[in-house]
Amino acid sequence: MIVAFDIIILVFLVIAAIISLSVKDLLAAAMVFGIYGFLICLLWAEMGAVDVAFTEATVGAGVSTVLIVATILNTRRKSTD
Amino acid sequence: MILTILSVILIVSGLVFFFGAAVGLMRFPDFYSRMHAAGKGDTLSTLLVISGFALYQFRDIHDFSHDWPVLLVVLKLLAIVVFIYLTSPTSTSALADAGWEDGIDPVIEPGRENHLEDDCHRTPPSSPQP
Amino acid sequence: MKAKIFASIAVAITGAVLLYAVTDFPNFGDPRSPANAGVEGGSPSASLYYIENTYRDTKVPNLVTAILADYRGYDTLFETVVIFTAGMAIFAILRVLRNENAPSAPSPDPEASNRTIDGDHHRIIVGITCRIAVPLVQIFALYVVAHGHHSPGGGFQGGVMLGASFILIALSGSLRDALARFSEASYIRLASIGILIYAGVAFLPLVFGRNFVDYGALKGLLGTDGEEMARSHGIFGVELGVAFTVMSIMFAIFANLSTRGRLKGGL
Repeated sequence: MIVAFDIIILVFLVIAAIISLSVKDLLAAAMVFGIYGFLICLLWAEMGAVDVAFTEATVGAGVSTVLIVATILNTRRKSTD
Repeated sequence: MILTILSVILIVSGLVFFFGAAVGLMRFPDFYSRMHAAGKGDTLSTLLVISGFALYQFRDIHDFSHDWPVLLVVLKLLAIVVFIYLTSPTSTSALADAGWEDGIDPVIEPGRENHLEDDCHRTPPSSPQP
Repeated sequence: MKAKIFASIAVAITGAVLLYAVTDFPNFGDPRSPANAGVEGGSPSASLYYIENTYRDTKVPNLVTAILADYRGYDTLFETVVIFTAGMAIFAILRVLRNENAPSAPSPDPEASNRTIDGDHHRIIVGITCRIAVPLVQIFALYVVAHGHHSPGGGFQGGVMLGASFILIALSGSLRDALARFSEASYIRLASIGILIYAGVAFLPLVFGRNFVDYGALKGLLGTDGEEMARSHGIFGVELGVAFTVMSIMFAIFANLSTRGRLKGGL
């Protein structure tokens, strides 16, 4: 565990979270959410929790992005707020 | 020692290509040229960086009969390279096709022809899809 | 706008409380924190017990797998049931079985361009690559399921990867291709069979007069040398059940979400 590396990833994590919340285009928000998933996977792998990182890489960054995109394509693409 | 230097050279050149891909992504004028910068730069730099890692692993081999499991790590790294070479160009191609079908026009210098139009055609809205 | 201000205030207050709570945490890796050293004067901590005894008890080098599937097997059984229930809930809400007059998928965007790529070049490129990639993904997923004892991974991750391989078939070709390989009847059956495998492996020790999820009792049934190896094999059986359920539910959720429950057409 390297503290400087941790802090860099955490800063990117916060930025990705804020962007995915504030973007109006929901498809873009879904993609940024995938980036968020990869960053948190990176953080866990770097902290030594390899099993959790693996789960996050498969579920959070992989399948859930596909599911969100499938849902958006069947509903609306623009956010109202 | 030589192995370390070689692997560092490979990794650094990979990072240079990564930087080129990032600059191209920011600076190029339209979707397709950005796509080409990102796709090509990414693929080549991943190859260079991961082969640098693989070469670095050989440093740990002192006595082959005892240290041979290191080769398994090298094999896994090479498998990653093979997968990136399969998937990265495919995703770039799929993205470029999707952009074209979505109606994104390339930026073309005045006086030059758009050769993309030769390969791809505009179907009238009413005609059945081929 | 009013709702937004209210939400911001609520988020700010919650965040402040959470940050205040974080100051009470022990330091990262503190050997004297309650989780690592146990309550002072009380019993030694659980994590210390796991670190010292897991390999001796179960012959599984990966502590996480052993804790999830053996020591905390009861929790994991119901985590799997939660996933199964989520999949069934989505199935119950979305799946359209008879009513053909229900609103269909949205009509294509009128502003969309009418350009197409000449021929099927791009479909060939993507299709061939996915045909090469899908078997490799599935083999790696099976490796992850079976090798969870020794390396990161296990039933959940391997199951998600297996489900993702079918989703990849559906995305690169059509949902019909994927459903031809993994039909609706088979994924519902396989999801239930996965739960049944888990519950069955967990139930078997009761037959031998031992506790639920005490796989050591399966020593005679599996013909292993000691109870440790029986526990290791029991963990593998449980992981297999989790993998079946998660694979089926992941694909079921995708198939229902992408077609509005019709399982026709698709993205």
